[in-house]
Amino acid sequence: MAQYLLLLYNDPSDWKKMSPEDMQKAIQKFSAWREKIRSQNLLVGSHKLADEPGKVMRGKSPVRVTDGPYSETKEVLGGYFLIEAPNYKAAVDLARDCPGLEYNGTIEVREVDPMLPRK
Amino acid sequence: MSVSENPDAGSLVDHLFRSRAGQMVSHLTRLLGPEHIELAEEVTQDALLKALQHWPYTGIPENPAGWLFRVARNAALDAVRHRTLAADKSASLAAEHFRNAEALTADDAELEEQLRDDELRMVLMCCHPAISHDARVALSLKTVSGFSVNEIARAFLADEATIAQRLVRAKRQIRESRIRFELPAGEDLNSRMDSALEVVYLMFNEGYAAQSGEDLVRQDLCGEALRLGSLLATSSVGTPQAHALVALMAFQAARLPARVDAAGELVLLPDQDRSQWDRSLIALGFHHFDLCAAGVQVTSYHLQAAIAATHARAQDGSATDWNLILDLYDQLLELSPSPVVELNRAVVVAKVKGPETALAALRPLAGNRSLRNYYLLPAVQGQLLFEIGDELAASQCFREALQHPCSEPERRFLQRKLAECLKTQA
Repeated sequence: MAQYLLLLYNDPSDWKKMSPEDMQKAIQKFSAWREKIRSQNLLVGSHKLADEPGKVMRGKSPVRVTDGPYSETKEVLGGYFLIEAPNYKAAVDLARDCPGLEYNGTIEVREVDPMLPRK
Repeated sequence: MSVSENPDAGSLVDHLFRSRAGQMVSHLTRLLGPEHIELAEEVTQDALLKALQHWPYTGIPENPAGWLFRVARNAALDAVRHRTLAADKSASLAAEHFRNAEALTADDAELEEQLRDDELRMVLMCCHPAISHDARVALSLKTVSGFSVNEIARAFLADEATIAQRLVRAKRQIRESRIRFELPAGEDLNSRMDSALEVVYLMFNEGYAAQSGEDLVRQDLCGEALRLGSLLATSSVGTPQAHALVALMAFQAARLPARVDAAGELVLLPDQDRSQWDRSLIALGFHHFDLCAAGVQVTSYHLQAAIAATHARAQDGSATDWNLILDLYDQLLELSPSPVVELNRAVVVAKVKGPETALAALRPLAGNRSLRNYYLLPAVQGQLLFEIGDELAASQCFREALQHPCSEPERRFLQRKLAECLKTQA
C-alpha cells in the first residue's frame, strides 16, 4: 500500500457566512467521510494547518519573506489527510467523496514517493 | 500505523449547533452586558467556525458542546482584555463578571442550570417593551435560537435585508434604552411573559402554516417554538398560561404527520388517520395540560389547549365530543372575540346543531374586513351549503374560495370539492 497526501484548499470567507445549522451539517458530512476511511484502517493522519502566520519565502541573499500565499488566490491550504491506498486511482476515488468539494473546495492528491533503490 | 479513535466519540445530536449557539450567545451576553450582544454573537459564530475548520481533521471531540463553549468563552475573554486596555469602562466591568463566573464551569449540572437561566433572561429581554413588536420574533430567533439572518428570512418568507434591518434596529434599542439582562419582577414580569408567549405562538403558527415540501427551516420553527415554550413554562417564573400554550402547541404538532396523506393531499382533522399522530407529543401535551389547570385564571391558551385536548382524547373522528368543543368555543368567543374564532366555531355548530344553524351563525361575518382575503370563509360556507343539498350555491362558494390565496394542497382540496358539487348537480 502506498501513501497519499490529500491537500484540501478552501475559501474561508465562504464558511464564515454559514448558519450554525449548516455548519453542523457540513461537519457531519466530513465526519462520515473521515470515519469511512478510518474504519478501513486507511487513515494515517490528518491535520488542520494554522491560518496565521502564513509566510512565503523566496530567493537568496537576501531571502524575500512575504505574507501569503493569500495575495494570489482566495483559496488557502486548510489542512491535509495522509491516507493509504492500493494505487493512485483508489486514492482519487476516496478523495472524490470528500465534502470539501461540495463546499467549493479543491483537493490535490499526491502520492508519497518512497524512492526505494532497487536491490 | 493508522489513527485509532474511540468510535463512540464524535456524534452530534440534531440541531446541537443551533441550540448551543443560542445558549452561548445568551450566556456571553450576560457576562459581557447587553450592549455587547454583537460581540457575543461574533465570538459564538467564530467558535462554531473553528469547529468547522478543525473537526474534519481531528474528528468530533467527545464533548462537542464543552469544546465550543470553552473556545467562545476564551475568545470573549480575549476581546474583553483587549478592550479593557483601550480603557472601555463597560468592558472592565464585564471582565469583573467573567472572573466571578469562572467558578461556575466546575460543575456541569450547575452550568446547565445557569445556561437555562441565561436563555430565559434572553427570551424575556428580546420581548422588552422598548423593542418593537415586529423585531421581537427575529431577535429571539437570532439570539436564543441560533438561526441565521438568511434562515429567519426564509422561515418567514421575508426579505433578508428587511430582517437584517430589523435586527440592527432592535440592537440599537437595547443599547439606547439601556436594557438590562435581568429577570423582570411583578407586573413587568407578567407583561414580559405575555409578550414572550405571543412571540413563541407566532413562531409556532408560522411553522405550522408551512407545507410539506417547503423549506425545512420553516418546519423547524414548530420545534423551536416548543423548545422555547417549554423553557418558559418550566422556568422559575413559569405560569399556568405558559403550560397551556405548550400543551396547545404539542397537541397541534402531534397532528402534523397526519395533515397530508401519502399522495400529498390535505386531510381534515375529523378524517385524519389518528395512528399517525405523534404519541410522545400527545403525552407531552397532556403533561402540560394537567399543569395548566393549576391557576384560577382561564386564558385563551387554556381554552384552545382544551379544544385540542378534546380532539386528542377521541379514539376516532366520530367519537369527538363536539358538545364540549362547542362549549369551549363559546367561552373562547366571549374571552377573545375574533372573526376567525367565530368561523371556527361555526364549523363546530354544524356538527352539533346542523348545517342550517351554522350558516346562520356565519351570516354576520359576511363582508367582514379582516376575513376579506381568507379562503376559509367561503370554503366553510360551500361545505355547509353542499351538506344541505344546495350544490349550485356551494359551487359558487368554492369558486370564490379559489380566488383567495391558499397553499397548493388547499387549492387541490377546494378543486376536489368544486368537482363534487358539479358532479352532483349534473
